Amino acid sequence: MRTLLVWLAGGGLFAGSLQTALANGWNMPVGVTELSGDIYSLHMIIFWICVAIGVVVFGVMFYSLFRYRHSKGAKAANFHEHTLVEVVWTAIPLLILIGMAVPATATLKKMYDASDADLDVMITGQQWRWRYEYLGEDVAMTSNLATPRTQIRGEEPIDESANYLLEVDEPLVLPVGQKVRFLFTSDDVIHSWWVPELAIKQDTIPGFINENWVRIEEPGIYRGQCAELCGVDHAFMPIVVHAMEEDEFETWLVDRREAAEQEAMGIDREWEMDELMERGEQVYGSVCASCHQDDGGGNEPAFPALAGNQAMLDDRDWHIDTVVNGVSGAAMPAFSGTLNPVEIAAVITYERNAWGNDSGDTVQPSEIAELMSD
Amino acid sequence: MWDVIKSVLAAFFGVQKDSQRREDFEQGRPGLFIAVGLVMAALLVGLVALVATLVAR
Repeated sequence: MRTLLVWLAGGGLFAGSLQTALANGWNMPVGVTELSGDIYSLHMIIFWICVAIGVVVFGVMFYSLFRYRHSKGAKAANFHEHTLVEVVWTAIPLLILIGMAVPATATLKKMYDASDADLDVMITGQQWRWRYEYLGEDVAMTSNLATPRTQIRGEEPIDESANYLLEVDEPLVLPVGQKVRFLFTSDDVIHSWWVPELAIKQDTIPGFINENWVRIEEPGIYRGQCAELCGVDHAFMPIVVHAMEEDEFETWLVDRREAAEQEAMGIDREWEMDELMERGEQVYGSVCASCHQDDGGGNEPAFPALAGNQAMLDDRDWHIDTVVNGVSGAAMPAFSGTLNPVEIAAVITYERNAWGNDSGDTVQPSEIAELMSD
Repeated sequence: MWDVIKSVLAAFFGVQKDSQRREDFEQGRPGLFIAVGLVMAALLVGLVALVATLVAR
């Protein structure tokens, strides 16, 4: 009896140290949505069931090994079958599994119920950035890594205060308290949109649309990363979600819509070389540089050099077509869905006149708009 | 017949008394066991489908 108590105490100590480990950040986060709380509770229920089973099974085993050891003259029982014992050890796991299935099914049902959403956001994975589209709101944006390439390559010291490799230029902005439905898809390969605090890790698959939803309860910044190996820059497409109060979000949405309209008006006018170059440099840095490099040097053979690329400079139409429509079967994506005509015109102008390229020509947003409307 | 059903249920559960097993093998008709087994399998599928439908509502 005393030995049994020792084992029970040992088991208790083990469970206690687990509890301590869990309380110190070794566990999954509780998260900031009702559903993430449910998932966390479910995870903990199953976990403690497993711990209890482990303690009982190993407790009985170690106790038996010790109490009935050979040196004390124990004799092995020698029987072939015992129907009652067999029924008991089959029925107990069956009941435990059914008991686990009940809360698990209830949570799964909630997770899959994306109906009656207040806001729909389309999330598209692309090598190597995220695109967010507020469906029906005329607002869309591309979210790129904000960490400078020079820090990644070690040419500059890492800025420790700037969330190295976890910061983006455009966070996904969401309202608190509203049911937001996400539609996931991909332009190229399988990515996975993973934000632990929202309890979402959803694959984005080309040609498929996956669904999920959140109702965020606390305003804040929630970070995540791509969770499906998607190519060389897999580690460089982080996710930032900025959850804000509803009225603040509405203001943001209106501002964004107006900015998009403003930009759309810019399509018709004639742009100066300087403006195009300035805008083009921004676009190049956030969208093109991950493959073609900041200095236009490329990364042969997959990513051709743009600096000194005579074929590109000689054939302006081919250059425009390549950026707008991409190269079928190669790594170059079509940017007609990602960038607007102003951005495309600016970046092509930039590529034709930066790093010693001296074509001297500009590409006007109106040309691109015309091409894209065909 | 009731014995056959009990034996098939025992087979579904995965535990059978040795004496009953001997009896089944000495006296039972294989065709009957197979037929009852198929019917019970269909019932099990129906039961699972029913539970899933009720839960999903």
